[in-house]
Amino acid sequence: MAGRPTRRDFLSRLGVTAAAAVGGSAAGLGLAGIARAEEKPKGTIPDKPFKIGHMTFFTGAGAVLGEPMFKGGLLAADEINEKGGLLGKRKIELLKADEAAGTDANTKEMRRLKLSEKIDMFMGITSSGNTPALGPVAEELRLLTMFIDGCTDFLFDKAVPNPHYIFRITNIQSADGSTCALGVAMTWPDVKKVAHIHPDYSYGRNCFDHFSIVTKKLLPAAQNVSEAWPKLFSTDFTPHITKSLAAKPDLLVTSLWGGDYVAFYKQALQHGLFSKMKVATTLALGSAPQSIGKDHPEGVLTGCHANYHFSYPAGNRWPLNKTFVERYKAKFNEYPNFQAEGAYTATYVLKTAIEKANKLMGGWPDDDAIISQMEGMMYPGPGGYVYIRPDNHQGYKDAITGFSKNVPEYPFPILDPARIITIPIRNITAPPGWPKGDPTSTYTWIDQTWPQVKAT
Amino acid sequence: MDILVIHLFNALLYASVLFLIAGGLSLIYGVMRIVNLAHGNLYALGAFATASAVGQWFGGSNSVWLYFLLPTGAVAAAAIGAVLEPTLLRPFYRRPEEYQLLVTFGLLMILEDVMRFIWGPYPVSATVLFEKMGSAQIGEFIYPRYNLLVIGIGGLAAFLLWAFIYRTRFGVVLRATSQDMRRASALGINVNAVYVQAFTIGCFMAGLAGAIVVPGQSAVLGMGVDALVLSFIVVVIGGLGSLEGALVGALIVGLLREFAISTFPELELAVLYLIAAVVLLVRPAGLFGRTT
Repeated sequence: MAGRPTRRDFLSRLGVTAAAAVGGSAAGLGLAGIARAEEKPKGTIPDKPFKIGHMTFFTGAGAVLGEPMFKGGLLAADEINEKGGLLGKRKIELLKADEAAGTDANTKEMRRLKLSEKIDMFMGITSSGNTPALGPVAEELRLLTMFIDGCTDFLFDKAVPNPHYIFRITNIQSADGSTCALGVAMTWPDVKKVAHIHPDYSYGRNCFDHFSIVTKKLLPAAQNVSEAWPKLFSTDFTPHITKSLAAKPDLLVTSLWGGDYVAFYKQALQHGLFSKMKVATTLALGSAPQSIGKDHPEGVLTGCHANYHFSYPAGNRWPLNKTFVERYKAKFNEYPNFQAEGAYTATYVLKTAIEKANKLMGGWPDDDAIISQMEGMMYPGPGGYVYIRPDNHQGYKDAITGFSKNVPEYPFPILDPARIITIPIRNITAPPGWPKGDPTSTYTWIDQTWPQVKAT
Repeated sequence: MDILVIHLFNALLYASVLFLIAGGLSLIYGVMRIVNLAHGNLYALGAFATASAVGQWFGGSNSVWLYFLLPTGAVAAAAIGAVLEPTLLRPFYRRPEEYQLLVTFGLLMILEDVMRFIWGPYPVSATVLFEKMGSAQIGEFIYPRYNLLVIGIGGLAAFLLWAFIYRTRFGVVLRATSQDMRRASALGINVNAVYVQAFTIGCFMAGLAGAIVVPGQSAVLGMGVDALVLSFIVVVIGGLGSLEGALVGALIVGLLREFAISTFPELELAVLYLIAAVVLLVRPAGLFGRTT
């Protein structure tokens, strides 16, 4: 067919780039955040605390993500409180709630926090099973809400298609599978046989769907030869590894994360899996950087939720990241993950919106004024610019992935600074005005608008 | 052919661990008629304790002696069991079953929080034991030797338990108490002592399961509840209170899971519940259960 682009043409049209991150220390650039003069707020500001209900996993296997999320929020709150609080007056007070209580209990807890504890804002959530249940409740309660994760496309595609009170800061879920597939198309365009191991819940399904639709467009010769769907939070992957080995694929794609991924790669090593095939992951380096050991093979496409890895942007290229990582490390003696960055950034998005609204109206702004300032905001967080889309209240930031590499500075692998892959987020997510689709709007958008590249 | 052998090993690996957990649960129920919901977290505790001993206290060591630390988890779980039975459970034997369920369920949650308190939210591992043994060549594939050790321990435990219960004097006492507690007591058997011993052995088995699992996998919060659900499936299939049932149930679950994953991957989660449902319909007391 004439007019079909080649893979390389289309990838460059998408803006998928592998760039060497210039590291090192550019002397004289050691700024501590954006040094902006603190302006005096207009009008009288009450000094009662600003209560944020922070719900995430504090118990159970999900705590591996929940703890860093809370710590990110706590760091931001402490920094703001040290300077007197929001608008210099209202100290942020965090109320913890455990997401592990279950979806039903979580919705009740959200009501209780709003009605009894009188929280001013709700923040948090890790699980994609919880945001679609809590979103409608927050709208009903008129509760200003910033979901940190729980990144399912379903929330703003179907559950709350026209959000007013709820926002979400980390990247939309479909970007994960698409980013992984683009990384593969760019790095290993010759793969023919693909095996999959994904946790059997919405995240795993979503990664599988979007990886598959992107490879259908960009790697027409690739086909799936094996699928395995282990239960979320299981740690025995022996049968899944055996099955993948038996299918003799060129590439294994997995969206396992947290303790699951740690158990998986240790077992896969003893089965010689990494030496028999290439491996691409969506969230391997995402949950807790220090949980992966140096025995992890190098050169694996190791995703970080297409979102944030503390090692990028490196050095002094993006001072906001340098100071964030240093402060987080100093306070908690560990390195932040994408959720820590999400909660940290979300808190500053809130602070900025409140300050802007105050500048316009004076006094403490009401929720609608804060919301109108958050809509359309472009905020520079540690991981880069995040844009809050006004129509669906979703935060978007350019997707990144990369390859595992051991460097002497850290006792665990990081993303190879010389081979970071970045993708402009607008080129891999359904744009405003695109009709809601199934399984996701992004899926139908890719399916209907991306060209089928020439088989090479 | 090689791949069939590996599939069989995988099934036996899973069954060995399940047998230890479900066997302990069944032993306790068989003797004391108590469904110990905290059992799952005694398994998890075994995993965390061994991970601590191997991975943290002696972290960095590469000595063969580390393998002798493997039973740490089993001993820790047994010690906790020996304390729990006389203090927490004994007062509830005369009460209706609901009380026992509430107490053991509460204990399950308390133990979960205790583990979080001690070990924190991140996975704890003892992979040095898993990696040190390397892998064996099976045809064109390689297979971790440690997994074979786990299968061996599972088989040995099943044999020792059988010998203990059917070939020793204490086994006779245990079976007598299990069949009729009042009459055994009238014959001069110290029922309280038998109970605490049976409970301790049951906890030891759970802890041992956690201990042998942790080098190849890792200790994570929430693993206990998952294990509890799985061991209930095993005892539903095999029959609650029967050790033979636990063994056969574990083998059935291990083989079916392996078969499902390799042929109908989407059924991995459903297949175990399906077989449990079928057994409940056909033989409500389980394959080896006593119909009372």
